[in-house]
Amino acid sequence: MTTVKQKNHTTVSKQEWRRRGFIIAFLAPTLLAFCIFYLYPLLTVFFTSFCKWDYTNITNPQFWGFADMFNNYKYIFTTYPYFWEALLNSTFWALLGIFFQIPLATIIALAFSRKIKGIKLIRNIYIIPCMISSAALGMIFLQLYSPLYGIINPIIQIFNPEFSGNILLQKGTAFWAMTGAYIFFTGTTTLMILGNIMAVPEEIREAAMLDGASGLKQDFLITIPMIKNTLKTVSILAATSGFLLYNEVFFLTRGAAGTYSISYVIRELAINSPRSQFGRANTVAFIQIIAGMLIILFVNVVYEIPSLCKKLRRN
Amino acid sequence: MKKLVALILAASMAMGMVACGGNTTPTESGSPNTQNTSAESKNEETKGEQQVLEFYHGYYHAESEWPAAKVMRDIYDEFAKQHADGPVAFKPIPVEKRDEIVSAKVAGGSFPDIVDMGIALPQSAISQKLILDLKPYIDANNLKDAVGLNYTQNNIDGAIYTVHDQIETRGLWVNTEVLKTAGVSVEDLSTWKGFVDSMAKVTEKKNGNYGYASGQGSLKMLYAYLGSTEDGRKLLSSEISADVINSETFANAFKTIARMDQVNGSEYATPDVGNLMADFNQNGKVAVLSNGVWNASGIDEKFAEAIQPIIFPENVSMATAGTGLTVAANMSKEKTDLALEFIKYMTSEEVQTKIFLGVQANPCNTTLDLNALAEQSGDPIVKKLALACSLCNKAQTVVSDVSYKWGADVGNAITNALMECANANTNIDARFEQLQKELTALIG
Repeated sequence: MTTVKQKNHTTVSKQEWRRRGFIIAFLAPTLLAFCIFYLYPLLTVFFTSFCKWDYTNITNPQFWGFADMFNNYKYIFTTYPYFWEALLNSTFWALLGIFFQIPLATIIALAFSRKIKGIKLIRNIYIIPCMISSAALGMIFLQLYSPLYGIINPIIQIFNPEFSGNILLQKGTAFWAMTGAYIFFTGTTTLMILGNIMAVPEEIREAAMLDGASGLKQDFLITIPMIKNTLKTVSILAATSGFLLYNEVFFLTRGAAGTYSISYVIRELAINSPRSQFGRANTVAFIQIIAGMLIILFVNVVYEIPSLCKKLRRN
Repeated sequence: MKKLVALILAASMAMGMVACGGNTTPTESGSPNTQNTSAESKNEETKGEQQVLEFYHGYYHAESEWPAAKVMRDIYDEFAKQHADGPVAFKPIPVEKRDEIVSAKVAGGSFPDIVDMGIALPQSAISQKLILDLKPYIDANNLKDAVGLNYTQNNIDGAIYTVHDQIETRGLWVNTEVLKTAGVSVEDLSTWKGFVDSMAKVTEKKNGNYGYASGQGSLKMLYAYLGSTEDGRKLLSSEISADVINSETFANAFKTIARMDQVNGSEYATPDVGNLMADFNQNGKVAVLSNGVWNASGIDEKFAEAIQPIIFPENVSMATAGTGLTVAANMSKEKTDLALEFIKYMTSEEVQTKIFLGVQANPCNTTLDLNALAEQSGDPIVKKLALACSLCNKAQTVVSDVSYKWGADVGNAITNALMECANANTNIDARFEQLQKELTALIG
């Protein structure tokens, strides 16, 4: 009896090991790729942010030493002239992604989900601008904002006939002009939301209709809560893409009039500077990674607020 | 059976990953840090295989987009054809992002075999001894005149690391008709005071014409302004430092150009002069364009008479050898020899003539008689180019584009400050103070 049990145990153990072996074998390529392409660069960025790494020691980053290990951070936070401006701008673009771009995309997706004649055609037309690269869009907006040929200045002149300046070179307006160049392009986000709206079971809507819920009520009380997880995902995507804005800055202003972004600052330090300040660039990159994580956390908190409120009300 | 298939699949995936990870570029020339790669190359070489000299250049454009790119590619292909059967094959590779390739390779301690660079020479490439000093070869082969301005401008502590086959020569282009409408003559533009007053007169007319495209163009004018005084020339010849940034000369130059930009109007400020070039070359709405001699080829036929090249006020022009053909150190002797021969080929009279006539750029070889070549060609565009080149070459003061030395980040900061000053409501003094802080921090 004991021998049979032992045999069974050995067989199970062998099977278990085989199962584990298969899991490891299948996971190994992905883990290897993750380590090479994600983890290694991440760790490099982190460690070299505490190193002197510029044109003087390009192949040999040197640790600043424990006494001065925050030298790069000190320079970025207290001396580098564009960091705070860039961080503020990028954070604001991230927030606009969550609180403007996603609500806009949701409204459009809800409109597209209606069964109206010709809606498929409108949907296809709406997605076309998403196929244009952000670099090309930058060039298009450069023309739109041109005080000589653009359409924006004539619109402003309706309200302020004296206006003749370049909105891309004035502090304040330049930021909003930059925002306008990307924020309305919500095609991909809209499609993702629309796909989820379409997946909401028709029976639930019919039941709501029988209960007398109007279209708008159905949207707010049924559809949106049911696609909450998708909204959370696209919010993270929108916020991070806003935070990482680069092409628009490069093509429209190159940072003039207070429009630096974090990504643009990294390029300035690492590539544009003849002093190849990789250590400092990686410091900004590490701050960017931390900020990205905070954005994800923030989005999660924002989406948990309704449930928290509900819980509080119940208590 | 299923398990067997799954196992084979997993193994093949893992093998694929390992294979990708182990891939190296045998032609890459590295520093002592990349000895493995070099060793592999050497192994290949000993097998008797033909070596390859990879040459990265930026002439990737379609002929319809930029005909000059095709001319340059043909020049490279001709050299490749000449050496097709030699011990080393020459392989020109057109790429859009050659500078990013250089930056990435230098960061990794290596350098492309040979590259026609577009950005300032990375200090790190020199400090790591990744690039070859071309001066011994230039001297031994008596190529001083062939490389022209490169010989002096690109001399770093007695070494020449790069040779640009075209000289970036800049002056001004003027539309005499637009000037005439404003009551201004070309002679009025020979002093900075006259230039500033003339631009104001063009703007005052309010007839749809404007003075010039500021922004990127203003930066070049700022450097030319500095070149017009002894103190300014001293600044241009020195490295960017707190002394330069806080000097009265720099402040005076910045504020003069900034005030002129403000009168000119912010609607004509652009970080890339190319954005407003059509206004000058095709629409005839602009009095002055700050651009290189190559602008000759962009002028619309209907303005061929009206548009003429001049130099900056106070008899100043800008000629910059800049970076160009740069060769990796630590290559095999055969590859190095071919790379050096390529430098000789590119600066030869034959190729330089092709560059002048076909690319319509100022060639580096000083032995060419540009006016005679233009006369021979009979092409009015080439004649205009020759005139622009000879005016710039004969200017009393020839300064270089100091952005190559001070850095693109410094140039960008000054351009941004100038563009912001073009707004009527910008306080120029305050903006200059802010610029001083920015520049001081950037070089910190």
